[in-house]
Amino acid sequence: MRGFGDLEAVVMQRVWDHGGPVTVREIFDELRETRPIAYTTVMSTMDNLHRKGWLARERDGKAYRYTAVASREEYSARLMREALAEAGDTEVVLSHFVAAMDGGQADALRGVLDKLARRRPS
Amino acid sequence: MTAAFALLGYAIAAAWCAPALLAPLTSSDASVRPALAAWLSAMAGVLISVTLGTALIAAAATQDLPSLARVLCRGVAGTACTPQMYRSALYSAGVTILAAGVTVAALAALWRYGRRARRAVTKTRLHAQAALLAGRELAGTGAVVLDDPRPFAYCVAGRPAAIVVTSGALAVLDEPQLAAVLAHERAHLAGHHHLLATVTRGLAAAFPGVPLFIRGRDEAARLSEMAADDTAARSAGRRTLIAALLSIATGAAIPGASVPFAAPVAQGRLAAAGYAVPARVERLLRPPGSGTAAMFGLVLTLVSAVFILLPAVLAATAA
Repeated sequence: MRGFGDLEAVVMQRVWDHGGPVTVREIFDELRETRPIAYTTVMSTMDNLHRKGWLARERDGKAYRYTAVASREEYSARLMREALAEAGDTEVVLSHFVAAMDGGQADALRGVLDKLARRRPS
Repeated sequence: MTAAFALLGYAIAAAWCAPALLAPLTSSDASVRPALAAWLSAMAGVLISVTLGTALIAAAATQDLPSLARVLCRGVAGTACTPQMYRSALYSAGVTILAAGVTVAALAALWRYGRRARRAVTKTRLHAQAALLAGRELAGTGAVVLDDPRPFAYCVAGRPAAIVVTSGALAVLDEPQLAAVLAHERAHLAGHHHLLATVTRGLAAAFPGVPLFIRGRDEAARLSEMAADDTAARSAGRRTLIAALLSIATGAAIPGASVPFAAPVAQGRLAAAGYAVPARVERLLRPPGSGTAAMFGLVLTLVSAVFILLPAVLAATAA
């Protein structure tokens, strides 16, 4: 499963769902309803996310108000750009299940498969 | 001293000629793991030879320059080589520069490899981390979903690794096909294919233009796909895997039942198109017989052993 990045992912989802700036206390109160968790754990997780560049924060009185640096959609788009560019020569090592074929290639392959299907002894 | 030149000579010969020997043996895809082992052994043999040869030359240049000069002079000029020639200051200077050049070239290759591999590992880990944070968990699978209309699935190594499926892929795959895709990606991660890719791409970057490392990188990638296909076909079924391949590659849902199974097809018909996907489909339609696989496996294992042992023999006999 997700392993130890798990809590960071859960916190990021919550921050994105909030839309606006959010405090550790607010996230902690939400998470406490679904699982036993310590306030300090949430605090250090959000601090980590800030350090890794996922969350921006602003001091508001005694607490920080956190906001996501980019939306989930922006991250998704960035990841897809990186993943699709891999066929070229970026340095990210990832294994595509299969590269997309253009229309001509797909039609050619479908044609051969159709022929095979017709020849199949039934 | 002749050992150094024998080793470097072998390295150069193997780096340029091994692809011609290995390509016909491994292109049938009958025996995937021995084929991978053969390419890796060829590359390892060249690396061992280059390292040993360079080390011997560097050592000779610093400790016993006159004898290095003599060996080199006799090797190049034969009987025309006279003591006056190789004992001259000019000649010694030339040999020193040559030895330094070989050493610097080897160190430069090592540096290029390290830089490339380190960057790949860092960027790959960051990508996996970002995918796990930005993706939605696909319940019960350990994979994450990214919202994108293009059908796409991939895995990326990291701590932890991530398997990513786009919403576009989910739209064209039925449940057994999704299981086949995930089995294929898990096979990549379990087989440490990312490590293989990092190393072979690093070597191709370290030795630009050397045929063995360019072809070796491409073959490692191709054979890893075949290995992952084999694993996925075992758990999900060949027909389902083919349907999943076609669905994602064409972006249209293709039911598994419509894929012809064990149909009488002339070998090479799909692969003749020259596309990676048809080649994989053809291989799944007509899996190689176990006899052929065993024969290729045996030959490739022997070839692997020769690639690894030859540098050792050269170093020992010529010493």
